[in-house]
Amino acid sequence: MTAAIASLLIGLVLGYLGQRSRMCFIGGIRDFILVRDTALLKGLLAFGVTAWVAFPLARLVAGAPLDSPAAADAVTVALTIAAGFGVGYVSTLANGCPLRQHVLAAQGVTSSMTYLAGFFAGAVAFHLWVAPALFRLLP
Amino acid sequence: MSISLEPMPGIPESLVAERVSPARALRVTAVHMGTVAGLLAVAAGTWFDVSPPDAYGVCMACHGRDLVNWTINAAAGTRLTVAPASLVYPLLTTVGVFLGALVAARHHREFRWITPDQPVKTFLYGVLVMNFALIAGGCAIRLTLRTAAGEGLGASGFAAMAAGIVLGTWWLRWRATR
Repeated sequence: MTAAIASLLIGLVLGYLGQRSRMCFIGGIRDFILVRDTALLKGLLAFGVTAWVAFPLARLVAGAPLDSPAAADAVTVALTIAAGFGVGYVSTLANGCPLRQHVLAAQGVTSSMTYLAGFFAGAVAFHLWVAPALFRLLP
Repeated sequence: MSISLEPMPGIPESLVAERVSPARALRVTAVHMGTVAGLLAVAAGTWFDVSPPDAYGVCMACHGRDLVNWTINAAAGTRLTVAPASLVYPLLTTVGVFLGALVAARHHREFRWITPDQPVKTFLYGVLVMNFALIAGGCAIRLTLRTAAGEGLGASGFAAMAAGIVLGTWWLRWRATR
């Protein structure tokens, strides 16, 4: 219950700020290449740096042990790289990261609503067909 | 003064939106948003049970998947995958972002219906981004978050995503200037 309520409240804050700031986690790199505009890129950097500083501090305050993630096998690394490339490439063609698409949809951009319909349908399609197919095809 | 809201070919919509908005609308900068998002994402994972997995505080793709699959599981008794953090109640980040943006847009009179040009293509983009994000283990936000958490796998996904954005932008520019 805590997680559901917290995520709803965090979402509300991020949605509000995201609408006001036009923040896009894809658009930063895109705008820099396209028109050398660094406004959104600074936002992406601010997010990364803040989280990078906050993670160890939060662990320290909460007293949680430093966990070392398990080493990934080659197939997982290859899949992550290929799919990460896909996330970046297709998001650029779609004019924004998933967060930006949620914000645009809430602003009345119907193409972003169509995108979200595909986005959520894609989640079901992934677990029904794509993931089983990947498990079957990969060693 | 009337301003055209038609997206120009080759020019991303977000850039057009930025140009037509009044100056006061840009008081919240991307840096503010990024900083707050970073703090909230870490806090969510550390104190508000938005974990496991690690570095799961904010993710539009994974949390959206959790919500959709949890709802279908609850309604139809299926067993579609959800993250451990969403087993009992689903994470509502996506709903929150939508509502928060709706409030902001209404409050600042920026809500306008804008009609799509290619709905089928846009729908497919949505399907593709969700599937890629679920394979990579995060949308643009969570890949950044995993990188910040010092996870090597997340960092390789983030680097690949950056490469994808660069190539995608080059492709858009090439198509626009052809």
